[in-house]
Amino acid sequence: MGTFNKVVGVDGVRRDTVDKLTGKERFSGDYKIPGALALAIARSSEAHALIKNIDLTKAKALPGVVRVFTAEDVPGENSYGIIPITKDQPMLAAGKVRFKGEAVALVAAESLEVAREAAALIEVEYEPLKASFTPEEALADGAEAIHDKGNLCFEHDSLMGDPDKAFAEAAVIVEDTYTTSAIEHSYMEPESGFAVMEDGVVVVTVSTQNPHYDHADLCRLLGLEEDKVRVKQATTGGGFGGKLDLSVHSYVALATLLTGRPSRLAYTREESFAASAKRHSFTIKYRTAADAEGNLLAVDAELVADTGAYASYGVAVAMRAAVHAAGPYMVPNSRVYSRAVYTNHVFSGAMRGFGVPQVALAHESQMEKIAAKLGMDPIELRLKNALKPGDKTITGQVLGDSVGIRECLEKIKAVRDEWGAAKGDDDGVRGIGVGAMLYGIGNTGVSNPSTAQIRVNKEGGVTLYTGCADIGQGSDHVLLGICAETLGLAREDIALVRADTMLTTNAGATSASRQTYISGNAVKAAAEMFIAKAVEAAAKVSGSAASELCFTGTAVKGPDGELSLLEIAESLRAEGRELEGEGYFDPETVPLDHHTGQGKPYSTYGFAAQLTLVHVDKATAEVRVEKLFAVHDIGKAIYPQGVIGQISGGSAMGVGLALMEEFDHTSDKNFDTYLIPTVLDVPDVEASFIEHAEPTGPYGAKGVGEPALIPTAPAIVNAIADAVGVRITSLPANLERVHSALQLMGGK
Amino acid sequence: MFVEFTLNGEKVSAEVSGETTALALLREKFDLTGAKEGCGVGECGACTILVDGVAVNGCLYLAGKLDGRNVLTVEGVGGEEALDPLQQKFMEHGAVQCGYCTPGMLLSAKALLLKNPKPTVDEVKVAISGNLCRCTGYTPIVKAILAATGEGK
Repeated sequence: MGTFNKVVGVDGVRRDTVDKLTGKERFSGDYKIPGALALAIARSSEAHALIKNIDLTKAKALPGVVRVFTAEDVPGENSYGIIPITKDQPMLAAGKVRFKGEAVALVAAESLEVAREAAALIEVEYEPLKASFTPEEALADGAEAIHDKGNLCFEHDSLMGDPDKAFAEAAVIVEDTYTTSAIEHSYMEPESGFAVMEDGVVVVTVSTQNPHYDHADLCRLLGLEEDKVRVKQATTGGGFGGKLDLSVHSYVALATLLTGRPSRLAYTREESFAASAKRHSFTIKYRTAADAEGNLLAVDAELVADTGAYASYGVAVAMRAAVHAAGPYMVPNSRVYSRAVYTNHVFSGAMRGFGVPQVALAHESQMEKIAAKLGMDPIELRLKNALKPGDKTITGQVLGDSVGIRECLEKIKAVRDEWGAAKGDDDGVRGIGVGAMLYGIGNTGVSNPSTAQIRVNKEGGVTLYTGCADIGQGSDHVLLGICAETLGLAREDIALVRADTMLTTNAGATSASRQTYISGNAVKAAAEMFIAKAVEAAAKVSGSAASELCFTGTAVKGPDGELSLLEIAESLRAEGRELEGEGYFDPETVPLDHHTGQGKPYSTYGFAAQLTLVHVDKATAEVRVEKLFAVHDIGKAIYPQGVIGQISGGSAMGVGLALMEEFDHTSDKNFDTYLIPTVLDVPDVEASFIEHAEPTGPYGAKGVGEPALIPTAPAIVNAIADAVGVRITSLPANLERVHSALQLMGGK
Repeated sequence: MFVEFTLNGEKVSAEVSGETTALALLREKFDLTGAKEGCGVGECGACTILVDGVAVNGCLYLAGKLDGRNVLTVEGVGGEEALDPLQQKFMEHGAVQCGYCTPGMLLSAKALLLKNPKPTVDEVKVAISGNLCRCTGYTPIVKAILAATGEGK
């Protein structure tokens, strides 16, 4: 077998970096597409209304307009959505609109100016319906049904042990209600893509996290066989969950299919804000019971999420939030009831953490309250209850070996000791806060496999084929690293074909922090099969025993010399076979029981703890995060600089979640009012990791993309509480909320 | 109107309308697509270019105003064979993830270093505070810029 090559754990340089630094990298909007039609979308002015009539006369009459499309032009089923049981979203509204900004008609024209002018000339007659803008309104008697099935999109129950008994016997009970806000992903590249017809195939090149899911939904919408649609992932300028949903894809595909001409569409930022998914806002009622020594006895939580007008990932968010409701702690009794509720807001979908950042606010605030009641150190309380290998989670899953939360907390404790007591100054007060989390890697309680292939190429080298979309986080580099390590090569020796539905097979979505673990395993399996196949074929050609042969990465060496990969490939081809390794990996899961929520939702978990030091200005109520220390158990860092980059970037997003970001559906149109952190808003993140190798992970790796963000907001809120003595339970902890807290603070 | 200006060291000219932005001109006429549109309202900085050494938002700056000026885009900062020290340090420090903000970020840093070769950390932060990045958390970018000045690691 290959020599141990030590690519894993060494940074190297990503192959996209130089082009991104010199301006050569082409995002989808950077291509010249000769003859492309420009598209523009007419969007609903109403949040909830029946469409009585759409008058296209003026739009069609405008010179330069090629065609105008409405729902009637959609050739296939006009409903899509990532989760099979909730494909409830039309690409063009059919008879009814459910949020302001929903696509009603599509214009294709010779220029963008004409397309936009024509879209503005489309006259839609609406019959307004009563709209609901909160889950409470939507679930109230007399609420107008947003969908035929009603306004409850999804509910999930979880029960373990006897929580009522545990609460009755508890020494300490703390309870509170926590709320979080809708958040805009704010990837720097707005949605963009183009389509062309090639030999009867609609080829869509698009910014996406999800090429194979996109492909399936496009086939459904267009009514085409799967070989008539091809999705190629363009270089993608961030996603964070927001590019899992279809956006421009279906419009460029429809226009190109029905006109035969290339077409392109890039959302403006305003359009992106109006029509793309948001993070679910949550209301969380949470009770925790503990004994007098601080051992957690029970959790009782009720979660309600605003999933907006369409389901998107609402089911996954509500379920994952429930599974993670107790945090990284051993809790023997629990009851969790979680719902995703339709409203007439733009749809909520996946956003970094799938509901876990929201519940982390609750469980981490509760830990502080228990510690205060018992007079315990909050880190000691967490250590006392932190999950260990062999412990049961609240879904009854017995954890495996890779459970690094205790070590994370020990590190946090040491850093806190280094920082010393938080001292205020003339302007304000300071506080230190902790946040901790666990995060299941991969999709919740369902099969979510990845596949990969490795083939010898014409130059005699190897090419890795993966359906995995690198959205900027560096999964290409991770997968190439795993491939190189296994084959005994350098990353630079390997060609890569990725995220093209004609050339690669499904790797699943780039979401749920799953690509390193799941696609990494598929790549590793492919490489191992490639080696085995090469050695077996070489043995046959050379007449040597396989045990005498050694795979070198470029050849197979034996006692009588060596055979190149090309020679081996040729010998296999003579038998009608290919020198190819195929890899498949599906994490072992057990679906959650519908009534009790018990099962094995994930095969492994990431863990983390973060520590922040904040300064709260007494006059202005401004909160500055002065220090942020993060430690994450990621199993094994395949690409350490990438891990640090994820933690640093995730923490910054966590600062936004904690202090700044609250998407106002009526007024936020762009970054002039919707503020995300600038460099002046975030501290220098001290990011670190520990490596509790996961036995089922590729070289021990788990995942880090979403965990990076999850502990940050709780750590900041807890630090504010430490500083001012008043707990903020609604995010963001903006100036108004902190100001109120300061007023309550009184004489501290 | 007709404008003549220096673009990445070369004399160029173009006929532009009064509404054309510098960003549109550079991307559409000169196929310099390094500068990106991220928001179109001058908030995100993805369109940052240098005009006479000063960082401006290409999405707001009118093309007509380029006449007689010296314009630098990311394509003129340094190519693959001869990376600028800023590009080199961005690479070494992992300051590039999705890359959409990168050209603008580089040019804001470039403008700073042109007038202040030894900036403090705070000066670096102020210089890039008009450039949004959602991927990196800024920490690697600040380190990279400081490293390019010979400070930091």
